[in-house]
Amino acid sequence: MVDIVPLSSYPSYIDLLPSIQTCNITNLPENYFLKYYLYHALTWPQLSFVAVVRPKGGYKAGTSKAGAGDLSGNYPKVVGYVLAKMEEEPTDGMQHGHITSLSVMRTHRRLGIAERLMRMSQKAMAESHRANYVSLHVRMSNVAALRLYRDTLGFEVEKVESKYYADGEDAYAMHLNLQSMWMDWKAVEARDKENEKNDDAQDEGDAVGDLGKKDDAKDQEKMVKVKVGRGLGVGELVERNESQPSA
Amino acid sequence: MPQPLNPKDQSLFRQVVRNFELKQYKKGIKTADQVLRKNPKHGDTQAMKALIMSNLGQSEEAFALAKEALRNDMKSHITWHVYGLLYRQEKNYEEAIKAYRFALRLEPESGPIQRDLALLQMQMRDYHGYIQSRTAMLQARPGVRQNWTALAIAHHLSGDLAEAEKVLTTFEDTLKGTPPVSDMENSEAILYKNSIIAESGDLERALENLEKVGYRCTDVLAVMEMRADYLLRLDRKPEAEAAYVALLERNPENSIYYNGLIQAKGIAENDHKALKSLYDEWVEKNPRGDAARRIPLDFLEGEDFKQAVDVYLQRMLKKGVPSLFVNIKSLYEEPAKRDVVQALVEGYVSSNSAQANGSAESKENDFLASTYYFLAQHYNYLPSRNLPKAMENVEKAIELSPKSVEYQLTKARTWKHYGNTVKAAEEMENARLLDEKDRYINSKAAKYQLRNNENEKALDNMSKFTRNETVGGAMGDLHEMQCVWYLTEDGEAYLRQKKLALALKRLHAVYNIFDVWQEDQFDFHSFSLRKGMIRAYVDMARWEDRLREHPFYTRMAFSAVKAYLLLHDQPDLAYGPMPTANGAEGLDEDERKKALKKAKKEQQRLEKIEADKREARKAAAANAKSIDGEVKKEDSDPFGNTLVQTKDPLKEAMKFLTPLLDLSSQNIEAQILGFEVYSRRNKHALAVKCLSAAHAIDPSNPTLHLQILRFRKTLDTLSEPLDPKVAEVVTSEFEKLLPKSQKLEEFNEAFLSANKNSAAHVQAALSGRQLLNKDSKPQCEKDLLATLDSPDITVSEATTALELLSLWDSDKTSYVQKASQKWPESSAFKLD
Repeated sequence: MVDIVPLSSYPSYIDLLPSIQTCNITNLPENYFLKYYLYHALTWPQLSFVAVVRPKGGYKAGTSKAGAGDLSGNYPKVVGYVLAKMEEEPTDGMQHGHITSLSVMRTHRRLGIAERLMRMSQKAMAESHRANYVSLHVRMSNVAALRLYRDTLGFEVEKVESKYYADGEDAYAMHLNLQSMWMDWKAVEARDKENEKNDDAQDEGDAVGDLGKKDDAKDQEKMVKVKVGRGLGVGELVERNESQPSA
Repeated sequence: MPQPLNPKDQSLFRQVVRNFELKQYKKGIKTADQVLRKNPKHGDTQAMKALIMSNLGQSEEAFALAKEALRNDMKSHITWHVYGLLYRQEKNYEEAIKAYRFALRLEPESGPIQRDLALLQMQMRDYHGYIQSRTAMLQARPGVRQNWTALAIAHHLSGDLAEAEKVLTTFEDTLKGTPPVSDMENSEAILYKNSIIAESGDLERALENLEKVGYRCTDVLAVMEMRADYLLRLDRKPEAEAAYVALLERNPENSIYYNGLIQAKGIAENDHKALKSLYDEWVEKNPRGDAARRIPLDFLEGEDFKQAVDVYLQRMLKKGVPSLFVNIKSLYEEPAKRDVVQALVEGYVSSNSAQANGSAESKENDFLASTYYFLAQHYNYLPSRNLPKAMENVEKAIELSPKSVEYQLTKARTWKHYGNTVKAAEEMENARLLDEKDRYINSKAAKYQLRNNENEKALDNMSKFTRNETVGGAMGDLHEMQCVWYLTEDGEAYLRQKKLALALKRLHAVYNIFDVWQEDQFDFHSFSLRKGMIRAYVDMARWEDRLREHPFYTRMAFSAVKAYLLLHDQPDLAYGPMPTANGAEGLDEDERKKALKKAKKEQQRLEKIEADKREARKAAAANAKSIDGEVKKEDSDPFGNTLVQTKDPLKEAMKFLTPLLDLSSQNIEAQILGFEVYSRRNKHALAVKCLSAAHAIDPSNPTLHLQILRFRKTLDTLSEPLDPKVAEVVTSEFEKLLPKSQKLEEFNEAFLSANKNSAAHVQAALSGRQLLNKDSKPQCEKDLLATLDSPDITVSEATTALELLSLWDSDKTSYVQKASQKWPESSAFKLD
């Protein structure tokens, strides 16, 4: 029985990183230092997810002081993961997410794990980072993955990147629009205003207008100013990755 | 005393600093030399030159020059700062901190020195110092949010939650208006503060705060998880229920959420009907999901279970889901469920094979193949093991689908369980050949080869997926990519072959990888503040503190300690594996010398080959570089011969053991190995501490039993009495484990008769008997042989018995013969 959990949430699942790295190097030719995984986990903690085998008899209480989901110190077997990020220097100027690596152990195929991992990551990209779309690369020979991305998840082939992989194989560059899952920032701002008003004039009761009820796309664009990687100085931390990112 | 520079040289010096900052290292050195030509004792310039040299990789020369710089100018913050930076590069953090402190004393206003000091204090977990540094940095630049957050982190990690919260609130109060939703730094800071409140235990306030600010945090899932958890722990059931429903709507594949929901709804654990209908609801909502179908099999019983598991199994088999067995095998904890599953699936075979035989309908064949595959795994699994049946089913599956990697893989596993590592490796290699582009099966094939001690073949397989142009070839790439599983397996294979040098080489490599992982956090002390993802950073810092609790470390360290114990007990092994004699006397001195000579020759031969290879490589590519452009040095000890020639193996063992005892003290194997090391080092108080700890974990552990006897013997035969203080501790602790009044033979025989059905326990008791009375040997041999009659004895237990016979200098012939009759398929029982 497999659970899909976030890599970093409340509580933290970060002690799974070495097992994620092992899952990757067991399954795929594109491998990374642990620091590159750390870099993902600490830069975009919302975007990566892990599939773990629930131990016989359930999890032991974790070693941190947090509540129900605390698996720290349990070290369940990792059978899949999605490692994801936001593109730091989008060439098209559009904020978007990217799947650095996705893998499910051969022993745990066809349980819907990859699909679930992808959906979780996509949603988080849209919510946390207002990603316009998510992109990934897939080997042209990888029929099963193609079927998942195109038929199940609705990705479209953007282009073919020739000799993308170290062994010379071509890749499909694929993407999927995520705007429909964006958070309604207008509503958040309306609530902000409401709160401010209440704070300013608490005795005036709950006088709230119908401020910002409708979403105005143009307005929204003006508001969107997400700080991206370079602005905050990723600098030397960007690790080289062995060959190419995979999907 | 520092020499003042003339204005021209002064400007040249400033240029050196600029060159360094812009990474124009060669230019920098040239300019520095220009200054030094006229002012050969100018400390600051020397220091800057040293810093540049160290960045160019000339660390030894850099260090020498930095020392000279310091001698020439003790009163300069630059010379001290550089000195600290060089120590930092060498990872000598204590000395680096000292140097930074001197520098800071000379230049208290220096931002860079203060920052470098703070980062190291954090890395070293000097929270007291870190709080001081962070306070100073905040005072220097109070307008920057990062500085507030950093101070809060310092207080938080040092355990002062109230102060941490206060710092964050103070900053929040300075904010004018609400920051925009897009301000992720703010969003994260809010959640960080909330998690501190929750950690302090005041969930009521944490929830109140979260309800107020959570709606504007962009990490939506985290807010939902926090809220659900707080509500449940505050016993606010209706709200908690809604919160867990919301989480499940996002992710129905997480058993933790279902548990939360059930608790919130107050459904009793034994109300199976209510539980089942809850899960059924979620199946309806997510027809494609697995969790809601699978979890009820855990609690359903009797006829309900049979019905549910029947539906589950048939559905998955029809879909041909290859992971069906791994997904249900945990049910076998309950033998009744195991039997139901077996009967059902055997039933599918008999009712379907009749149909399939008639028609060549491929759908039915697929179902049948999946079913045979399921049964093959079922009969491989220990709680339901029947290896002939496993083999029979896997052959049938392969017949129906000869190209299936999974089926072929299971055949290899069956051989493994038979104890035949040779056939297992061969068959796994066949599985690999069915899909040569798949790394998973490649990894498996390599692993099985290592289990069969075929190190070179395994590496050859691995090299099909490594970057072989890396320095050191495939093995170099496996090191560089931190392939912990392979290095550990490879090391363990060498350990089995008693090739201790290479075993230690690989296990040290894994040890070093853990050091790198610990070092990896350094950059994040500053990076994460810039990024503002504070919760993830704090979680990471705490995880790093228990990094070596990971099972990857534990397993590697167990093997490393065992290797050092072996080396300590048999120093000749430093030169390579020694032949063991089968028979009474062991090797005589002549034989030993001959064997030693042979081993040394072999060692030299291998070294020569490697040296030649190295020369050839050097000639071929004068500048072998790794991918990041850094020049990688050739390994000066590729075979671990330097490692194995240590003068003090037990001291080396301590390096591996200490984290085990600190972080995995509940692991009995750690305590058992702790005893072995401490007792050999004559640290009796620490040895008995390990015995007590092991006893608290499992008083009937067989190895522990033998250790207790051995320790009594040790105490009885001390060459000089213990220090009175130590003696007091040891005696009183040990009295609880084995009272002095207890007759040892009785103690041992009682253990034997209490555990006579377990081969491992019997082996321990027989070793105990041997220890107490050498003359019992014939009886011990007879009793050991008799353990083979037990239906429960495993191949690996029988292999351990062979080691015991070696230890007793006994003849192994009859044991090997009997074992090979019992397990004719196994490759473990052959006479040399």
